[in-house]
Amino acid sequence: MTPLAVKLGPLELKNPILTASGTFGYGLEFTDFVDLGKLGGICTKGLSLRPHAGNIPPRICETPSGMLNAIGLQNVGVKAFLAEKLPRLRELGATVIPNVWGDLEEDYVAVVRALEEAQGLAAIELNISCPNVEKGGMLFGNSPQATESLVAKVRAATRRPLIVKLSPNAPDLVQSARAARDGGADVLSLVNTFVGMAIDPETAKPRLSFGTGGLSGPAIRPLAVRMVFQVARALPGVPLMGIGGISDLPDVLEFLAAGASAVQVGTANFREPGVSGRLVEELAAYCAGRGEPVSELVGRAQRAAAPVLKSGAQG
Amino acid sequence: MLDLPGRSRPYLRRAYSVADARNDSGEVEFLLRRVGAGTALLEEIPPGTLAGLLGPLGNGFSLDGLVPGNRVAIVAGGIGAAPFPLLFEALRRSGLDADFFLGGRNAEDLSLAKRFAGIVPGETVLASDDGSAGERGFVTEVFNRRAAPGRYARLFACGPMPMFAALARIVAEIGLPSEFSTEAAMGCGFGACLGCVIPGREKPFLVSCTEGPILAPERIRW
Repeated sequence: MTPLAVKLGPLELKNPILTASGTFGYGLEFTDFVDLGKLGGICTKGLSLRPHAGNIPPRICETPSGMLNAIGLQNVGVKAFLAEKLPRLRELGATVIPNVWGDLEEDYVAVVRALEEAQGLAAIELNISCPNVEKGGMLFGNSPQATESLVAKVRAATRRPLIVKLSPNAPDLVQSARAARDGGADVLSLVNTFVGMAIDPETAKPRLSFGTGGLSGPAIRPLAVRMVFQVARALPGVPLMGIGGISDLPDVLEFLAAGASAVQVGTANFREPGVSGRLVEELAAYCAGRGEPVSELVGRAQRAAAPVLKSGAQG
Repeated sequence: MLDLPGRSRPYLRRAYSVADARNDSGEVEFLLRRVGAGTALLEEIPPGTLAGLLGPLGNGFSLDGLVPGNRVAIVAGGIGAAPFPLLFEALRRSGLDADFFLGGRNAEDLSLAKRFAGIVPGETVLASDDGSAGERGFVTEVFNRRAAPGRYARLFACGPMPMFAALARIVAEIGLPSEFSTEAAMGCGFGACLGCVIPGREKPFLVSCTEGPILAPERIRW
């Protein structure tokens, strides 16, 4: 293994820097800024069985150190993804991880089946945590029973490594994580966005047409780091991908220390489209400087003076 | 898309139209009006501050099919006038005439007209909501009074969505081919976040940053 290579259960990646679903389009929007082949992986825009139009605008607004979005999972649909996006991504040497969502269990399974026939996909990421759609999405993630049932059905439909992206809005994240693992998830990615709201003080109307939106960016990083730490502590054998406001190398190191084996860069892609490639280089230089592979950086905070996380420390 | 290195707030870049760009001096000009944290920050930086620029992004106005001697109309609402200095320059080089309709809430908004002194190859008509400068009324009404069918070969417009909605009805009535430079909150500027969509006719949403920002009004679902 090269110093940056990581292994998350059955999923082997050339490095631990991935891009988060919904913040990196289908990857092809970023070819002016990043060599896609250099990244640990690309989690695509959430794919549904049929094309999906998304929510009416306004869909985004800036908030302190971050943003709210209610895009509503606009996407081209799995067929168009396979026909129009995937061939080009493969040519560019990208490690492609389609993110999948649906209204019903059978929709998820149908998308995963369609992907199963395709070549050149590293894993599947299941989105059970989008807060910006009326059905599906977060509804699965907020109930451990629904999570386990859905993950088990998808598990049976794919031989590929299965990542489940957890919702920070679930009543008990550790329970969600356990349910996803018990359903057959190989890797957990956490966290998706936090449900938030912004109101125009003059008009007293919500700034987003959907009313609420998902909060992302540096504002959520301490929350996400705590959640990764907590799940890593509770489920030590389950490989994790950390997500939440990662913009610079220290943020990557923070998530690795908390117990993530890899990270996904999200909202930062909007402000600095080359950030993911930059972080791969900076992490390589950092590991070279320490003379240690990146795997040595995982879970250092767990090994260090372990803070006591009481079960009530979730709110 | 502009930003300032090292700052943490605002987090996202802000999208601005290029007002003017000079190849010889390497200067790029933006016209800004302070509306929120992004513009406030740009207004407060001292001269010489390094700023990041991602661009140019999106499409531009088109003069295709126009011939010397044609007359075009340019309608701007407030700081929506920002992209037009460069267009006036292009019109002048192409031997096209242009009337400039600039609207604002009051005389203060219309002080922007100074930037356009001497560069409009035609008449400049000002309109203010309160009548404190130029004609009283919305710029769309003032334009409508002068816009007989056949008078203009094309219309270029930039401003807020309510202005566009009114203008779309007028140009549809007189059959005037038009290009609207649309405005929407942009997260990235290159088609990744899908935040800046505009309701469309041929499909549910048009992505302003990559399919626009300049769109024909008949493609927009009003």
